[in-house]
Amino acid sequence: MSLPRSNYDPRRVCLNPFPDVHFGKHRRTVGVYLAGALFAIANWTFLDAAVKSAHAKVSWGDEPPVHVTFVDWVPGICSLLGYLVVNLIDKDRIKGDEGFGDSSAVWRARLFLFIGFALMAGGLAGSVTVLVLKYVLSDYAEMFKYYGYANVSQNILLMLSAIVLWMAQSTSGEYEYNLTL
Amino acid sequence: MAAGLKTVILLSFVLAVGFLLIILSCALWQNWLPLLVAITFVIAPLPNALFSHCGADDFSGSYESNGPVDMGRFLTSLIVVTGFAFPVVLAHSGVITNSACAMSIVGGGLVYGTILAYSQAFKQEDSDFD
Repeated sequence: MSLPRSNYDPRRVCLNPFPDVHFGKHRRTVGVYLAGALFAIANWTFLDAAVKSAHAKVSWGDEPPVHVTFVDWVPGICSLLGYLVVNLIDKDRIKGDEGFGDSSAVWRARLFLFIGFALMAGGLAGSVTVLVLKYVLSDYAEMFKYYGYANVSQNILLMLSAIVLWMAQSTSGEYEYNLTL
Repeated sequence: MAAGLKTVILLSFVLAVGFLLIILSCALWQNWLPLLVAITFVIAPLPNALFSHCGADDFSGSYESNGPVDMGRFLTSLIVVTGFAFPVVLAHSGVITNSACAMSIVGGGLVYGTILAYSQAFKQEDSDFD
């Protein structure tokens, strides 16, 4: 009787193969640095739009028709809250097979994880909403649509940063590279 | 130790050139906002230096890091990217000119590279005392 393959687990429904990137033992370090860099790039992308909006002068001398207002900040704030919630959760508690705590602790941890991911997804959806409703549907010049695109890319980069940080931290013990949930 | 002395002199020259570039990028246009880049890059290694002592004790493996060390690395990377992004943002919105942006980025890179090279070059002595 032969043993099954080590990465084959019949309890799993979805198996996400991941490109086999090896950073060796520095993988966690590289992942954390990369996540921090992505986080900073995300927030500076949006702040760039905000600063540009505050200093905007149209070349024909008028007051610019649209500015970055508080509505533009809301999706980013949602994403940041979700980022905090997702990363404050103990990763071992999600799996629930470590044997500590009762089942209700696992249930609560999963609930908080759900709230965190819902906040991040809500931020992304909200940024797309702001882009469409405030900038695309109005007849502003092309330079003002940049504010909306910067908002969307801020939220996408925040989500990427959360994913990179999660993968860097959750696979510290074993040498597998699967996004196991 | 002649090699160490030469390294120190070379690194101090590079540091001085970096600060010179940053201060020139402020003073040539009478706009002192790029000076924040110098402060950013000077405090960039601070989180790593602080949080690395919260890390592993003698019993845990050296490759296995924990939460506070990760936090320090995250903050360090965030501050470094902030230092490079800040002049770009300022130049994009027209607060400083493009050449001031380039000068402050190069100067900041030199300052941070000096700090990195210094900590790399003299890391061996630190681990002897541990």
